[in-house]
Amino acid sequence: MRRGWNALALAAALTMAAAPLAAQEKTGNRPGFTLAPGTATIVLMRPEIQVGAQSTGGAYEPNADWTDQARENLGKALAEAQGRLGNRVVNFVEPVGQGAATAHEYRALFTTLADSVITYQFFPGNRLPTKKREDSFLWSIGPEVASLPGVQGADYALFVTTEDHYGSTGRKLLQVFAAAAVGVGVTSGMHKGYAGLIDLKTGDLVWLNADQAMGGDVRTPEGAAKRVAQLLEGFPGKPVEAAAPAPSAPAKTASR
Amino acid sequence: MAGWIIAVALAGAALGGGVPDKPAPLPPYGAAYTPTTVDERGLWQQADEAERDLRDSPVVVRDAALNAYMAKVLCRSVGEDRCRGVRIYVVRAPVFNASMMPNGMMVVYTGALLRLRDEAELAAVLGHEFGHFEQRHTLASFRRGRTIGDIIAWTSMISPYSTLPASLIQLHFAYDRAQESEADMMGLRYLTAAGYRPFAASHIWERLMAEQDATALGRKRHVTHRYAAGFFADHPTHLSRAIDLRAAAGSEGDRGDDALDAFQTAMRPWRAGFLADQIKLNDFGGSEYLLAELANGAWTPELLLTRGELYRERGNPRDLVSAAQFYQQAIDQGCTDPVAWRGLGLSLLRGQQVAAGRAALKTYLEKAPAASDRAAMAMLIGEGGVQ
Repeated sequence: MRRGWNALALAAALTMAAAPLAAQEKTGNRPGFTLAPGTATIVLMRPEIQVGAQSTGGAYEPNADWTDQARENLGKALAEAQGRLGNRVVNFVEPVGQGAATAHEYRALFTTLADSVITYQFFPGNRLPTKKREDSFLWSIGPEVASLPGVQGADYALFVTTEDHYGSTGRKLLQVFAAAAVGVGVTSGMHKGYAGLIDLKTGDLVWLNADQAMGGDVRTPEGAAKRVAQLLEGFPGKPVEAAAPAPSAPAKTASR
Repeated sequence: MAGWIIAVALAGAALGGGVPDKPAPLPPYGAAYTPTTVDERGLWQQADEAERDLRDSPVVVRDAALNAYMAKVLCRSVGEDRCRGVRIYVVRAPVFNASMMPNGMMVVYTGALLRLRDEAELAAVLGHEFGHFEQRHTLASFRRGRTIGDIIAWTSMISPYSTLPASLIQLHFAYDRAQESEADMMGLRYLTAAGYRPFAASHIWERLMAEQDATALGRKRHVTHRYAAGFFADHPTHLSRAIDLRAAAGSEGDRGDDALDAFQTAMRPWRAGFLADQIKLNDFGGSEYLLAELANGAWTPELLLTRGELYRERGNPRDLVSAAQFYQQAIDQGCTDPVAWRGLGLSLLRGQQVAAGRAALKTYLEKAPAASDRAAMAMLIGEGGVQ
């Protein structure tokens, strides 16, 4: 943390290029996998949520209020959306002691796996030879995940990660000025996220959806519902309606 | 022209930075302290998430006695009222480092514990990190970096060939180094107030310089000790830290308690493990210096065993002769770790002393019948496996 600010951060503060992600695939499904409504219990792991602003120079400014709002709104929207899918969603209860260490390692393992899928399968220019065929979405974190404390009796684990940097007023002014007076493109804001489903019996990744440019303002209930609909795009089973209305009844929130 | 650019840049930064808000007047180590401003709350929440991660991570050494000792030293150094706001995490990593998060999470690497000589030196390190926490250095650095980034963004639009960004980046790192010096001085004040020997703080940096020299020599590199910090350096040079701390300690610097026995008692169960991690760094020169430094003329069986492993790892024929000698000396001095016989046996076997080597390996297997490498060793002895 003390060394977090380095030369690269300052140099990278000015990202002039638009992200070349248009050609990237976003969703993968394990071949042959289906999830019939009303048959499964899904454990929602504690979502990783970061919300803040982007300064004029491009630095991330963490915002505790926005992150708290997003955590609450996304938790409600996820429960709502999963309810409409017809499956039971329960929140993961964090174990203590050795169980907590195991849960930590699985969270890290899942993040690594998801990053690998995004890097080596979703991006066509960088696809591994074994991932080039049709029906080659074969990734797993191993069957030992079944012994993770807190997931007994459940069928699937749902992992959700979102990161939002909202462009500040200064950043937007810079963007407008750069485009109008200098003629270079400056990006304002960064909104990315991914969601994945792990089969707790086999450890297989049965579905992953990743998007580097997501919609929906997670700081509001309406926006969070839209974000969740985008996160769950291509979810095996019944499709979620896009831009669902804000949930009016109090629903379960993600455990903190 | 330049003045105009700076004025526009500062205006842009003011627009982007929003209203500067002042942090709460309370000290951050207070039990009920809650950050109030947007920036500080954001940084604390980020740090809370990082701490949640580290708390459950397998790299943290969870031993109750070691952690109690660390907390005790911090409390003696900075005071009972202050130390309660800090959680110390000892992280298994064989390099000299310690760090402080804005929310009171302190990280100390095991490599630092191996290199510190007594409790006074440990207190100096903990007091330095606590100084960062007390003075909210992360927050100040974050804000300064953001403002500078904003100014650079506008400057590069308005005047792409300006040298202002370079000056600002230099300024940013100069401020970071000033924070380190401030934390050094705070650590020294705590050290002195707690009755520890003030020179302990400068001794750390003097030995680290010598170790860096040894590492460089071992790797056939130039020994480069800088008198001035480089452009991107976020810490002052070891040399200037040592000189400043020694000067600030004054003429009474050598008086005071170093609590050597308490430190050695607390570290005794850990040192063999820390040493084993150290020699895996593939840093022959630095490790050899460190071992000699720890031995200080009196080689213990533990240090001799580690030195044997270090030489055997490098593995030149002459190193194997030396390694066998070190293992033998460790055994003669009463080493009980079976690994000494394994090292001795392997060194002798490689040195063509087959009979003696096999005998040592047999002793190893007698002393460690459940060793994970039993099958491989049995094969070398000639008792099994594929010949």
